Amino acid sequence: MDEQLQEDWLERRLREEMPYIDDAGFTARVVQKLPAARPRHSYRAVILIGITLLASVIAYLISDGGRFLIVEAYRLATLPVFFVGLLAICGSLALTAIAASAAWNNVREQR
Amino acid sequence: MPLNDADLVARVLVDDDHHAFAELVRNHQSAVRGLLRQLTRTDLALADDLAQETFLRAYKNIRSFRGEAKFSTWLYRIAYNCFREEARKRKELVGIDESRLEAEHDPQTVDPALKHDLMHALQLLPLPERSAILLCCQNGLSHDEAARVLEIPLGTVKTNVLRGREKLKKTLAAWSTA
Repeated sequence: MDEQLQEDWLERRLREEMPYIDDAGFTARVVQKLPAARPRHSYRAVILIGITLLASVIAYLISDGGRFLIVEAYRLATLPVFFVGLLAICGSLALTAIAASAAWNNVREQR
Repeated sequence: MPLNDADLVARVLVDDDHHAFAELVRNHQSAVRGLLRQLTRTDLALADDLAQETFLRAYKNIRSFRGEAKFSTWLYRIAYNCFREEARKRKELVGIDESRLEAEHDPQTVDPALKHDLMHALQLLPLPERSAILLCCQNGLSHDEAARVLEIPLGTVKTNVLRGREKLKKTLAAWSTA
């Protein structure tokens, strides 16, 4: 029992006697010696834009010069008013849901 | 809200963020410098040089920190390696000058002002026992973590802690009866 108490005492004193060493410019000296930050060569944007452009060109060629766009735009323009309204409501609801979800994620990250 | 070590390491890895690394240094400088001061027997200038080298190596090799151990344990390992390399460079034996140890262990020869000074008693221990005591008893590492820092078997760490404790107790008891 005495042995145990003595060991506890020893460990307690060892921890208590470990002084906090004031930084006193140490961190600044270390940071000063760090190698310069690596320049950020991000190829992500270039790759994404390149792929998008390539996909657009391929789609344009495959779709007979984008004729399907004209056909679909014509179809949309000649839809009954009811369907156009329904489409508009669905579209705005989808956009609202996406915006609300993004806002919720933002709030959660800030907490 | 202050960021934890893992978040700060992630920022250094992703953005090479010097501010995040500075925060890591600020959080751990006292423990690392304290450990090195004890290992170098309170040679403050050498300890601070080694601590600086420790953090610079940590920055350069931060990609090798996989988060399996605590960041502090990883730092202690780098610090101990820096100390060992320096000791080798200076051709110091791992251990202590035995004659000096014996002289200092004699209660009659110890400066009265240092009697009962646990830190002074700690410095009289041979390096293997001193480092095991420092890591396990003072810095709160488990035996397993200390074994990884010191790169020695777990059983050896346990033995060194036991022996170190015994010697500390004997030294302090001898001083108190002198």
